[in-house]
Amino acid sequence: MPNLKELKNRISSVKSTRKITSAMKMVAASKLRRAQELAESSRVYADSLSFILSSLAGNTKNSTDLPEILTGRENSKISLLIINSSDRGLCGGFNSNLFRNAKKWISDQQGQGKSVKIMTVGKKASSFYKKTDLDIVASFEDLNSNDRQLQVSEEIKNKIMELFENNEIDEVSILFNKFVSAISQEPTYQSLIPLSNEETSEDQSEANNAIFEFEPDKNELLEYLVPRNFLTQIYRSVLESSASEHAARMTSMDNATRNAGDMIDRLTLTYNRTRQAFITKELIEIISGAEAV
Amino acid sequence: MINLKVVSPQKVIFEKEVEMAVLPGAEGDFAAMPNHSPFISSLRPGQMAIMSSNKVDESFFVSGGLVMLKEKVCEVLVDQIEPLSDVNSSNYQQSKTYQELEGNETALGTFEQVVNNPPYK
Repeated sequence: MPNLKELKNRISSVKSTRKITSAMKMVAASKLRRAQELAESSRVYADSLSFILSSLAGNTKNSTDLPEILTGRENSKISLLIINSSDRGLCGGFNSNLFRNAKKWISDQQGQGKSVKIMTVGKKASSFYKKTDLDIVASFEDLNSNDRQLQVSEEIKNKIMELFENNEIDEVSILFNKFVSAISQEPTYQSLIPLSNEETSEDQSEANNAIFEFEPDKNELLEYLVPRNFLTQIYRSVLESSASEHAARMTSMDNATRNAGDMIDRLTLTYNRTRQAFITKELIEIISGAEAV
Repeated sequence: MINLKVVSPQKVIFEKEVEMAVLPGAEGDFAAMPNHSPFISSLRPGQMAIMSSNKVDESFFVSGGLVMLKEKVCEVLVDQIEPLSDVNSSNYQQSKTYQELEGNETALGTFEQVVNNPPYK
Protein backbone atom coordinates (compact mmCIF):
# COMPACT_ATOMS: atom_id res chain seq x y z
CA MET A 1 0.00 0.00 0.00
CA PRO A 2 1.45 3.41 -0.95
CA ASN A 3 2.57 5.58 1.86
CA LEU A 4 0.21 8.53 2.51
CA LYS A 5 3.01 10.94 3.38
CA GLU A 6 4.87 10.03 0.21
CA LEU A 7 1.77 10.65 -1.93
CA LYS A 8 1.22 14.01 -0.31
CA ASN A 9 4.77 15.10 -1.04
CA ARG A 10 4.44 13.93 -4.60
CA ILE A 11 1.24 15.92 -5.12
CA SER A 12 2.74 19.09 -3.76
CA SER A 13 5.84 18.73 -5.91
CA VAL A 14 3.76 18.23 -9.07
CA LYS A 15 1.69 21.24 -8.07
CA SER A 16 4.76 23.45 -7.87
CA THR A 17 5.96 22.12 -11.23
CA ARG A 18 2.61 23.08 -12.67
CA LYS A 19 2.98 26.57 -11.28
CA ILE A 20 6.35 26.94 -12.97
CA THR A 21 5.22 25.60 -16.34
CA SER A 22 2.13 27.75 -16.39
CA ALA A 23 4.18 30.82 -15.51
CA MET A 24 6.60 29.97 -18.33
CA LYS A 25 3.70 29.62 -20.68
CA MET A 26 2.44 33.07 -19.73
CA VAL A 27 5.89 34.62 -20.20
CA ALA A 28 6.34 32.88 -23.56
CA ALA A 29 2.95 34.14 -24.71
CA SER A 30 3.79 37.76 -23.96
CA LYS A 31 7.26 37.44 -25.47
CA LEU A 32 5.71 35.87 -28.53
CA ARG A 33 3.50 38.89 -29.03
CA ARG A 34 6.52 41.17 -28.85
CA ALA A 35 8.58 39.02 -31.17
CA GLN A 36 5.76 38.96 -33.70
CA GLU A 37 5.44 42.72 -33.60
CA LEU A 38 9.15 43.09 -34.18
CA ALA A 39 9.07 40.67 -37.08
CA GLU A 40 6.23 42.61 -38.60
CA SER A 41 7.75 46.06 -38.15
CA SER A 42 11.04 44.94 -39.68
CA ARG A 43 9.22 43.70 -42.74
CA VAL A 44 8.74 47.20 -44.22
CA TYR A 45 12.46 47.75 -44.55
CA ALA A 46 13.09 44.26 -45.91
CA ASP A 47 10.34 44.61 -48.52
CA SER A 48 11.55 48.00 -49.74
CA LEU A 49 15.09 46.74 -49.91
CA SER A 50 14.21 43.66 -51.93
CA PHE A 51 12.10 45.86 -54.22
CA ILE A 52 15.09 48.11 -54.88
CA LEU A 53 17.36 45.13 -55.36
CA SER A 54 15.04 43.45 -57.82
CA SER A 55 14.56 46.65 -59.81
CA LEU A 56 18.32 47.01 -59.95
CA ALA A 57 19.03 43.41 -60.86
CA GLY A 58 15.99 43.26 -63.15
CA ASN A 59 17.19 46.27 -65.10
CA THR A 60 20.50 44.68 -65.73
CA LYS A 61 19.66 42.55 -68.74
CA ASN A 62 22.81 40.56 -68.80
CA SER A 63 23.19 38.51 -65.67
CA THR A 64 26.94 38.27 -66.17
CA ASP A 65 27.12 41.94 -65.25
CA LEU A 66 26.00 41.10 -61.76
CA PRO A 67 28.65 40.48 -59.11
CA GLU A 68 29.52 36.95 -58.05
CA ILE A 69 28.12 37.50 -54.61
CA LEU A 70 24.60 37.78 -56.08
CA THR A 71 24.69 35.03 -58.66
CA GLY A 72 27.00 32.63 -56.83
CA ARG A 73 30.11 30.94 -58.14
CA GLU A 74 30.10 28.25 -60.74
CA ASN A 75 31.27 24.87 -59.48
CA SER A 76 30.64 25.75 -55.89
CA LYS A 77 32.46 23.41 -53.55
CA ILE A 78 31.98 24.66 -50.04
CA SER A 79 28.57 25.46 -48.53
CA LEU A 80 28.04 27.36 -45.36
CA LEU A 81 24.94 26.68 -43.30
CA ILE A 82 23.83 29.15 -40.67
CA ILE A 83 21.71 27.42 -38.05
CA ASN A 84 19.34 29.50 -35.95
CA SER A 85 18.63 27.70 -32.70
CA SER A 86 17.52 28.94 -29.30
CA ASP A 87 19.60 29.84 -26.28
CA ARG A 88 17.39 27.99 -23.85
CA GLY A 89 15.66 24.67 -23.74
CA LEU A 90 12.17 23.69 -22.61
CA CYS A 91 10.66 24.50 -25.97
CA GLY A 92 9.54 21.12 -27.21
CA GLY A 93 10.94 19.85 -30.46
CA PHE A 94 12.12 23.28 -31.55
CA ASN A 95 15.83 22.52 -31.66
CA SER A 96 15.80 18.78 -32.26
CA ASN A 97 13.58 19.22 -35.33
CA LEU A 98 16.00 21.76 -36.67
CA PHE A 99 19.06 19.60 -36.09
CA ARG A 100 17.43 16.56 -37.65
CA ASN A 101 16.60 18.64 -40.70
CA ALA A 102 20.10 20.07 -40.87
CA LYS A 103 21.61 16.60 -40.72
CA LYS A 104 19.67 15.58 -43.79
CA TRP A 105 20.62 18.74 -45.65
CA ILE A 106 24.29 18.30 -44.78
CA SER A 107 24.40 14.72 -46.01
CA ASP A 108 22.60 15.83 -49.19
CA GLN A 109 25.25 18.45 -49.82
CA GLN A 110 28.03 16.01 -49.08
CA GLY A 111 26.38 13.60 -51.49
CA GLN A 112 26.77 16.25 -54.17
CA GLY A 113 30.46 16.39 -53.45
CA LYS A 114 30.39 19.65 -51.51
CA SER A 115 31.96 20.16 -48.16
CA VAL A 116 29.88 21.83 -45.47
CA LYS A 117 30.78 24.43 -42.91
CA ILE A 118 28.54 25.47 -40.06
CA MET A 119 27.81 28.72 -38.33
CA THR A 120 25.73 28.43 -35.18
CA VAL A 121 23.38 30.92 -33.58
CA GLY A 122 22.16 30.17 -30.07
CA LYS A 123 23.65 28.09 -27.28
CA LYS A 124 21.78 24.93 -28.20
CA ALA A 125 23.27 24.70 -31.67
CA SER A 126 26.80 25.47 -30.55
CA SER A 127 26.75 22.80 -27.86
CA PHE A 128 25.16 20.30 -30.26
CA TYR A 129 27.60 20.82 -33.12
CA LYS A 130 30.65 20.88 -30.88
CA LYS A 131 30.18 17.16 -30.50
CA THR A 132 30.09 16.52 -34.24
CA ASP A 133 33.14 16.61 -36.50
CA LEU A 134 31.73 19.41 -38.68
CA ASP A 135 33.73 22.54 -39.26
CA ILE A 136 32.24 25.36 -37.17
CA VAL A 137 33.38 28.74 -38.47
CA ALA A 138 31.68 30.87 -35.86
CA SER A 139 29.21 30.68 -32.97
CA PHE A 140 26.94 33.38 -31.67
CA GLU A 141 25.15 33.21 -28.35
CA ASP A 142 22.94 35.20 -25.97
CA LEU A 143 20.50 36.77 -28.35
CA ASN A 144 18.43 38.06 -25.49
CA SER A 145 17.51 41.54 -26.69
CA ASN A 146 16.49 43.14 -29.93
CA ASP A 147 19.63 45.28 -30.10
CA ARG A 148 21.71 42.19 -29.61
CA GLN A 149 19.81 40.42 -32.40
CA LEU A 150 20.67 43.24 -34.77
CA GLN A 151 24.25 43.28 -33.62
CA VAL A 152 24.63 39.52 -34.14
CA SER A 153 23.08 39.80 -37.61
CA GLU A 154 25.66 42.45 -38.44
CA GLU A 155 28.49 40.23 -37.19
CA ILE A 156 27.21 37.26 -39.20
CA LYS A 157 27.00 39.45 -42.30
CA ASN A 158 30.57 40.68 -41.88
CA LYS A 159 31.78 37.15 -41.34
CA ILE A 160 30.15 35.70 -44.45
CA MET A 161 31.34 38.60 -46.62
CA GLU A 162 34.86 38.02 -45.36
CA LEU A 163 34.70 34.25 -45.89
CA PHE A 164 33.27 34.66 -49.37
CA GLU A 165 35.96 37.11 -50.41
CA ASN A 166 38.69 34.81 -49.13
CA ASN A 167 37.18 31.97 -51.20
CA GLU A 168 36.60 29.96 -48.06
CA ILE A 169 32.93 29.48 -48.92
CA ASP A 170 31.02 29.43 -52.20
CA GLU A 171 27.42 29.20 -51.06
CA VAL A 172 25.54 30.37 -48.02
CA SER A 173 22.21 29.11 -46.74
CA ILE A 174 20.40 29.93 -43.60
CA LEU A 175 18.23 27.51 -41.65
CA PHE A 176 15.61 28.70 -39.23
CA ASN A 177 12.24 27.73 -37.83
CA LYS A 178 9.71 29.66 -39.81
CA PHE A 179 6.82 30.97 -37.80
CA VAL A 180 3.66 29.56 -39.39
CA SER A 181 1.29 29.85 -36.46
CA ALA A 182 1.43 29.62 -32.69
CA ILE A 183 1.18 25.86 -32.91
CA SER A 184 3.28 25.16 -35.94
CA GLN A 185 6.82 26.06 -36.92
CA GLU A 186 8.56 24.83 -39.97
CA PRO A 187 12.31 24.38 -40.49
CA THR A 188 13.06 26.49 -43.57
CA TYR A 189 16.12 27.06 -45.73
CA GLN A 190 16.91 30.30 -47.39
CA SER A 191 19.73 30.76 -49.80
CA LEU A 192 21.79 33.94 -49.40
CA ILE A 193 24.48 33.19 -51.97
CA PRO A 194 23.27 32.75 -54.67
CA LEU A 195 20.40 35.07 -53.92
CA SER A 196 17.04 33.35 -54.08
CA ASN A 197 14.42 35.14 -56.10
CA GLU A 198 11.33 33.66 -54.50
CA GLU A 199 10.50 36.55 -52.26
CA THR A 200 11.06 39.21 -54.86
CA SER A 201 9.11 37.53 -57.64
CA GLU A 202 5.88 39.29 -56.73
CA ASP A 203 7.42 42.71 -57.05
CA GLN A 204 9.39 41.72 -60.10
CA SER A 205 6.94 42.81 -62.78
CA GLU A 206 6.21 46.09 -61.05
CA ALA A 207 9.87 46.70 -60.42
CA ASN A 208 10.72 46.11 -64.06
CA ASN A 209 8.05 48.49 -65.24
CA ALA A 210 9.17 51.51 -63.32
CA ILE A 211 12.27 52.99 -64.86
CA PHE A 212 14.48 54.30 -62.16
CA GLU A 213 17.47 56.51 -62.42
CA PHE A 214 20.31 55.31 -60.29
CA GLU A 215 22.86 57.34 -58.46
CA PRO A 216 25.72 56.50 -58.16
CA ASP A 217 25.82 53.90 -60.96
CA LYS A 218 24.36 50.43 -60.57
CA ASN A 219 27.53 48.67 -59.59
CA GLU A 220 28.31 51.06 -56.81
CA LEU A 221 24.75 50.84 -55.56
CA LEU A 222 24.90 47.06 -55.64
CA GLU A 223 28.07 47.19 -53.60
CA TYR A 224 26.12 48.99 -50.93
CA LEU A 225 22.93 46.99 -51.35
CA VAL A 226 24.24 43.45 -51.25
CA PRO A 227 25.61 43.56 -47.70
CA ARG A 228 22.53 45.48 -46.58
CA ASN A 229 20.36 42.79 -48.08
CA PHE A 230 22.30 40.06 -46.28
CA LEU A 231 21.87 41.91 -43.04
CA THR A 232 18.11 42.23 -43.46
CA GLN A 233 17.68 38.61 -44.51
CA ILE A 234 19.72 37.38 -41.56
CA TYR A 235 18.01 39.72 -39.16
CA ARG A 236 14.65 38.59 -40.45
CA SER A 237 15.51 34.93 -39.96
CA VAL A 238 16.72 35.66 -36.44
CA LEU A 239 13.43 37.39 -35.65
CA GLU A 240 11.35 34.60 -37.19
CA SER A 241 13.32 32.08 -35.23
CA SER A 242 12.78 33.93 -31.98
CA ALA A 243 9.03 34.19 -32.60
CA SER A 244 8.98 30.46 -33.35
CA GLU A 245 10.95 29.71 -30.21
CA HIS A 246 8.46 31.50 -28.01
CA ALA A 247 5.56 29.87 -29.82
CA ALA A 248 7.13 26.44 -29.40
CA ARG A 249 7.77 27.10 -25.74
CA MET A 250 4.24 28.31 -25.24
CA THR A 251 2.72 25.15 -26.74
CA SER A 252 5.04 22.78 -24.95
CA MET A 253 4.54 24.53 -21.62
CA ASP A 254 0.80 24.46 -22.18
CA ASN A 255 1.03 20.70 -22.67
CA ALA A 256 3.21 20.34 -19.61
CA THR A 257 0.73 22.31 -17.52
CA ARG A 258 -2.12 20.12 -18.72
CA ASN A 259 -0.15 16.94 -18.04
CA ALA A 260 0.71 18.13 -14.55
CA GLY A 261 -3.00 18.77 -13.95
CA ASP A 262 -3.89 15.23 -15.05
CA MET A 263 -1.17 13.84 -12.87
CA ILE A 264 -2.42 15.78 -9.86
CA ASP A 265 -5.94 14.43 -10.45
CA ARG A 266 -4.68 10.86 -10.61
CA LEU A 267 -2.48 11.23 -7.57
CA THR A 268 -5.27 12.87 -5.57
CA LEU A 269 -7.55 9.96 -6.44
CA THR A 270 -4.95 7.44 -5.28
CA TYR A 271 -4.37 9.50 -2.17
CA ASN A 272 -8.06 9.58 -1.29
CA ARG A 273 -8.48 5.88 -1.98
CA THR A 274 -5.51 5.02 0.19
CA ARG A 275 -6.78 7.22 2.97
CA GLN A 276 -10.22 5.61 2.72
CA ALA A 277 -8.62 2.16 2.82
CA PHE A 278 -6.76 3.09 6.00
CA ILE A 279 -9.96 4.29 7.67
CA THR A 280 -11.84 1.13 6.65
CA LYS A 281 -9.02 -1.00 7.91
CA GLU A 282 -8.99 0.78 11.26
CA LEU A 283 -12.78 0.45 11.55
CA ILE A 284 -12.62 -3.27 10.83
CA GLU A 285 -9.97 -3.64 13.49
CA ILE A 286 -12.08 -1.78 16.07
CA ILE A 287 -15.27 -3.66 15.22
CA SER A 288 -13.65 -7.08 15.19
CA GLY A 289 -11.91 -6.17 18.45
CA ALA A 290 -15.25 -5.21 20.02
CA GLU A 291 -16.89 -8.40 18.74
CA ALA A 292 -14.16 -10.54 20.26
CA VAL A 293 -14.95 -9.05 23.65
CA MET B 1 2.79 67.18 -50.81
CA ILE B 2 4.97 64.13 -50.90
CA ASN B 3 4.68 61.14 -48.60
CA LEU B 4 7.95 60.84 -46.72
CA LYS B 5 8.53 57.47 -45.10
CA VAL B 6 11.60 56.91 -42.99
CA VAL B 7 12.37 53.28 -42.21
CA SER B 8 15.15 51.65 -40.20
CA PRO B 9 15.87 47.91 -40.26
CA GLN B 10 13.93 47.60 -37.02
CA LYS B 11 10.88 49.73 -37.64
CA VAL B 12 9.12 52.54 -39.45
CA ILE B 13 10.44 55.65 -37.75
CA PHE B 14 7.90 58.07 -39.14
CA GLU B 15 5.68 58.62 -42.11
CA LYS B 16 4.21 61.98 -43.02
CA GLU B 17 3.20 64.35 -45.78
CA VAL B 18 5.81 67.01 -46.42
CA GLU B 19 6.24 69.76 -48.95
CA MET B 20 9.88 69.07 -49.62
CA ALA B 21 12.66 66.97 -48.13
CA VAL B 22 16.33 67.62 -48.81
CA LEU B 23 18.46 64.50 -48.68
CA PRO B 24 22.22 63.96 -48.73
CA GLY B 25 22.58 61.79 -51.85
CA ALA B 26 25.83 60.01 -52.53
CA GLU B 27 26.68 62.43 -55.33
CA GLY B 28 25.20 65.58 -53.91
CA ASP B 29 22.19 66.85 -52.05
CA PHE B 30 18.83 66.68 -53.74
CA ALA B 31 15.33 67.73 -52.92
CA ALA B 32 12.46 65.27 -52.97
CA MET B 33 9.26 66.86 -54.21
CA PRO B 34 6.10 65.45 -55.77
CA ASN B 35 6.40 64.15 -59.35
CA HIS B 36 10.12 63.75 -59.19
CA SER B 37 11.26 61.22 -61.79
CA PRO B 38 11.69 57.68 -60.38
CA PHE B 39 15.01 57.70 -58.68
CA ILE B 40 17.12 55.46 -56.46
CA SER B 41 20.19 56.68 -54.68
CA SER B 42 22.38 55.81 -51.76
CA LEU B 43 22.94 58.36 -49.02
CA ARG B 44 26.14 59.65 -47.51
CA PRO B 45 26.23 60.72 -43.87
CA GLY B 46 24.71 64.15 -43.65
CA GLN B 47 21.71 66.29 -42.94
CA MET B 48 18.16 65.47 -43.94
CA ALA B 49 15.97 68.55 -43.86
CA ILE B 50 12.19 68.67 -44.04
CA MET B 51 11.21 72.01 -45.50
CA SER B 52 8.12 74.06 -46.21
CA SER B 53 8.05 77.46 -47.93
CA ASN B 54 11.84 77.69 -47.92
CA LYS B 55 12.18 77.16 -44.20
CA VAL B 56 13.55 74.11 -42.45
CA ASP B 57 10.86 72.59 -40.28
CA GLU B 58 12.78 69.64 -39.00
CA SER B 59 16.36 68.61 -39.29
CA PHE B 60 17.88 65.16 -38.90
CA PHE B 61 21.24 63.54 -39.09
CA VAL B 62 21.37 60.33 -41.15
CA SER B 63 24.40 58.08 -41.02
CA GLY B 64 23.81 56.64 -44.47
CA GLY B 65 21.22 54.59 -46.28
CA LEU B 66 19.15 54.42 -49.42
CA VAL B 67 16.38 56.46 -50.88
CA MET B 68 13.73 55.51 -53.41
CA LEU B 69 11.61 58.19 -55.04
CA LYS B 70 8.41 57.44 -56.93
CA GLU B 71 5.80 59.99 -57.97
CA LYS B 72 4.38 60.94 -54.59
CA VAL B 73 6.33 58.61 -52.37
CA CYS B 74 9.76 59.09 -50.92
CA GLU B 75 11.05 56.08 -49.03
CA VAL B 76 14.20 56.58 -47.03
CA LEU B 77 15.90 53.45 -45.74
CA VAL B 78 18.29 54.68 -43.10
CA ASP B 79 20.97 52.95 -41.08
CA GLN B 80 20.59 55.38 -38.24
CA ILE B 81 18.80 58.65 -37.82
CA GLU B 82 18.76 61.23 -35.03
CA PRO B 83 17.30 64.70 -34.75
CA LEU B 84 20.25 66.96 -35.50
CA SER B 85 19.92 68.69 -32.15
CA ASP B 86 20.47 65.37 -30.36
CA VAL B 87 23.69 64.62 -32.18
CA ASN B 88 25.55 67.30 -30.25
CA SER B 89 24.39 66.02 -26.91
CA SER B 90 27.06 64.25 -24.91
CA ASN B 91 24.89 61.14 -24.83
CA TYR B 92 25.11 60.62 -28.54
CA GLN B 93 28.77 61.51 -28.71
CA GLN B 94 29.54 58.37 -26.77
CA SER B 95 27.67 56.14 -29.22
CA LYS B 96 29.41 53.82 -31.65
CA THR B 97 28.12 55.54 -34.79
CA TYR B 98 29.39 58.88 -33.62
CA GLN B 99 32.84 57.55 -32.98
CA GLU B 100 32.93 55.79 -36.32
CA LEU B 101 31.91 58.94 -38.15
CA GLU B 102 34.11 61.29 -36.21
CA GLY B 103 36.59 62.95 -38.54
CA ASN B 104 34.94 61.28 -41.53
CA GLU B 105 35.11 63.36 -44.71
CA THR B 106 31.79 63.97 -46.37
CA ALA B 107 31.24 66.03 -49.48
CA LEU B 108 30.59 69.05 -47.31
CA GLY B 109 33.52 68.70 -44.97
CA THR B 110 34.02 66.63 -41.88
CA PHE B 111 31.26 65.07 -39.85
CA GLU B 112 31.78 67.64 -37.09
CA GLN B 113 31.34 70.49 -39.54
CA VAL B 114 28.08 69.06 -40.82
CA VAL B 115 26.76 68.66 -37.32
CA ASN B 116 27.90 71.99 -35.98
CA ASN B 117 27.12 73.95 -39.07
CA PRO B 118 24.36 72.17 -41.00
CA PRO B 119 24.03 73.24 -44.65
CA TYR B 120 20.29 73.89 -44.24
CA LYS B 121 19.15 76.08 -41.42
